[in-house]
Amino acid sequence: MTTAVKQRKLTVARAMAEAVAQEMRLDPRVFVMGEDIGPLGGVFGNTRGLHEEFGGARVRDTPISETAFIGAAVGAASDGMRPIVELMFVDFFGVCMDAIYNLMAKNTYFSGGKVRVPMVLMASTGAGYSDAGQHSQCLYATFAHLPGMKVVVPSNAYDAKGLMTAAIRDDNPVIFLFHKALQGMGWLGTEKGATVAVPEEPYCLEIGKAKTVREGTDVSIVSLGVGVHHALRAAQQLEQDGVSAEVIDLRSLVPLDRAHVIASVRKTGRLIVVDEDYHSFGVSGEIIASVVEHDIGMLKARPQRVAFPDIPIPFTPVMEQWALPNAEKIVAAYQQMHEEQNR
Amino acid sequence: MSTPILIADNLWDGDAEAVITAWLVGDGAEVGQGDLVAEIMSEKAQFEIEAPCSGVLKILEEEDAVIAKGATIGLVE
Repeated sequence: MTTAVKQRKLTVARAMAEAVAQEMRLDPRVFVMGEDIGPLGGVFGNTRGLHEEFGGARVRDTPISETAFIGAAVGAASDGMRPIVELMFVDFFGVCMDAIYNLMAKNTYFSGGKVRVPMVLMASTGAGYSDAGQHSQCLYATFAHLPGMKVVVPSNAYDAKGLMTAAIRDDNPVIFLFHKALQGMGWLGTEKGATVAVPEEPYCLEIGKAKTVREGTDVSIVSLGVGVHHALRAAQQLEQDGVSAEVIDLRSLVPLDRAHVIASVRKTGRLIVVDEDYHSFGVSGEIIASVVEHDIGMLKARPQRVAFPDIPIPFTPVMEQWALPNAEKIVAAYQQMHEEQNR
Repeated sequence: MSTPILIADNLWDGDAEAVITAWLVGDGAEVGQGDLVAEIMSEKAQFEIEAPCSGVLKILEEEDAVIAKGATIGLVE
């Protein structure tokens, strides 16, 4: 007797492409622009098959001119279209930030709500494969800091499809940041836990809801994107030492599900934030502040953060790996807490 | 009876090796003939691997494994 069941797993890259394709079939206003997103299918695989199905008018390869095509997307969105644009590496935001944070993020407010800007800006993030300091950053906090746009960061294919569908259907601008190591593209890193079962039918994940991906009672490890996988590995190691770690996947930075984090820390009394973005002025500080502002009495130990040090991302593999968050650093952060508490 | 999932000799030019980047079906799950079961990458080009027949998938080579042309990466039983 066989107990095997049918199963379909997708990489994050395929999940993103499937969400976009399904929304393009449903809504003729949805179109895609970016560098190499056409016949090549995107350098990270997340627009594969779209050009073939929808053609060059709706899946438009652009010149290397982010200012022009992101500005064009803001105009198209303001005029009733629903563009999806790709900023190939988030590191390139410098040349097009005016279109992003002065136009895309603010036009709805400036017009008193009369102009909606329903667009999705997707950009790759993350290090780990020696692409150096201009192609490896996360910059989550840079975008989350600026009001007027939602910011989502999926950690797996199921969330990527649901968040992309929700982002396309949202009447507000949404920044969709995908980590390269989760794409299933081999040379960018392989994170098996990101390739998961994904339903074929379209579905939305509500933007702004965190998820507890592992229940625990001794410490809350809060992270996003690839950091969730580091946190899960750390939780497994801690379990061998008899420590029960809870892991929370933020999934969205704007809106930020502070209540979910606070509820977890209320239970565990300990907090470690894991973030591949820079240590200072970032996600880790915001999470810790959110908990402490709410109720300082919940904490049994100093909160810890495992983040990227405040240095440009090194090219040299040993230096890059030294700087990146990983499971061992998370375990060490817990041990530090534990020692201080028992001193 | 089991049928091997082979990496075809003509999938790409030259003798470069490839890496399994993702299994899109879990070990022990049911597959149909022609279903996409894995992705492999050789020199930054990605190739899709389909099930040669219907049955239950047995994975022989895990993700990140380096494979040559002609390799058997799994079986359909």
